Amino acid sequence: MRRNTFYLLAGIVALAEVGIFWLSVEVEEPILIQVAFILGVLLIYMARRRVDERIEDERTAMITQKAALRTLEIFWVVFFAISLGSAVVAFSRPLGLRPPHPGPPGTAAPDVLELPFVGSFALFQMALLCLMIFLYVGFRMYYARKYGDWDIDEEQD
Amino acid sequence: MKNRIKVYRAMHDLTQEGLANELGVTRQTILAIEKGKYDPSLELAFKIARFFGVTIEDIFLYGDTAKRP
Repeated sequence: MRRNTFYLLAGIVALAEVGIFWLSVEVEEPILIQVAFILGVLLIYMARRRVDERIEDERTAMITQKAALRTLEIFWVVFFAISLGSAVVAFSRPLGLRPPHPGPPGTAAPDVLELPFVGSFALFQMALLCLMIFLYVGFRMYYARKYGDWDIDEEQD
Repeated sequence: MKNRIKVYRAMHDLTQEGLANELGVTRQTILAIEKGKYDPSLELAFKIARFFGVTIEDIFLYGDTAKRP
């Protein structure tokens, strides 16, 4: 398989994943996108092994390592800070469902943290994971440029 | 670190792609080394030197040696 064919395949898989995500939301079946995501990743890994041209070597490995390290250095601080905030909110009130009755007459219902609110943390953390991908791509582009990935010379078509 | 890969490549009538294939790296890596944007590992430096049948010092010029004519 040629390198460009591999990149084209990866793009098609990514588009398919977006479509399946939408379908998964429509039919309310989360397992659909979960399985599709894992299959998509496996497909891309298998296709990468079949690329005839060399697409990885010590320089690309170094670029990947540096980008991953910088991403992790920034991400864990942001993620931990936000998770700390979430933990403070979670521990500041009793966690759980509202009791089935409001309690003795004349007393207010206990102030508990609604479970759907806890679920919103998961969504927020997922958004952070998306941010991590953008961060990684940004660093990857920076180091790729620094180590001559986009340089051209007289031999290039 | 400066190097003379381009010179040796020309002497052996090799393209960047050809040298990259011989050494098992990408063409962009050869280009990056030639332009001084990437210093190869010791292993790759030895591979390059052995491929051209010279010593590492003949190809890679480190520090003060790079200023010599």
